[in-house]
Amino acid sequence: MNLFRVMEISGSALLAERMRAEVVSANLANAETTRVDGGGPFQRMHVVFGARPVAHPSFGMSLASFGDLHAENVRVVGLVGDETPPIQRFEPGHPDADTQGYVSYPAINPAEEMINLMGAARGYEMNASAITSIKNMIQSAITILG
Amino acid sequence: MSFLNTTQLVLLERYLDGTSMRQTLVATNVANVDTPGYQTRDTDFRGQLQRALSGDDNDVLVPFVMPVRGLISRPDGNNVSVDRESLLLAEIQLQYKAAISILRAKFALLSTAIKEGQP
Repeated sequence: MNLFRVMEISGSALLAERMRAEVVSANLANAETTRVDGGGPFQRMHVVFGARPVAHPSFGMSLASFGDLHAENVRVVGLVGDETPPIQRFEPGHPDADTQGYVSYPAINPAEEMINLMGAARGYEMNASAITSIKNMIQSAITILG
Repeated sequence: MSFLNTTQLVLLERYLDGTSMRQTLVATNVANVDTPGYQTRDTDFRGQLQRALSGDDNDVLVPFVMPVRGLISRPDGNNVSVDRESLLLAEIQLQYKAAISILRAKFALLSTAIKEGQP
């Protein structure tokens, strides 16, 4: 059992939560974007988290940890677009308006995105404190030597 | 029985192994706090330690991991409780530190013997 690997698990969660925050910020920033490269309004994105067994870089390490393969990293396993139809707003003077004068805006609710962002921030904090706790354990183990 | 291979030292080593393994599981639970469908898991640490102390089971601690019962699942199928995990995080850290302190005291005693009581 290697305590440094525990840090790796919490580190994977830091990465995943940060990616979630990035995607949510992109949604917030593009809440009013009516034109993207592929045409049409911006599409709201979701991250999907999945648990993945910790990968061992070498055969020796996997042998050493044989029997404790229950530790799982968290990974972003997918980035999914929201299929909710865009919101139609009547703005005849808008350059992206259709023939009836309606403009398609992305179906993004800023309040929902803010809550998602808060969730990501709290998840990040939680894992950061787990890392602090593991760091303390490693530090106290080092004091056996001195 | 040599000075460096006493039963107490072996048991302390097992205790450290067990606590750090449990900490791995807690870190896994915390990391997957937002993973849909993830179920909290833990090990029967107390039972294992008692078995090790009673001497029935002289093998190295074999991790026995199981899902935790009695936790409330969220609609996405995840049942990680942040309160439970942060409490365990602190508790296991203290257990580990306590074992390290005892280990240090043991080695200090040994060191005193080596130096014939000279400071």
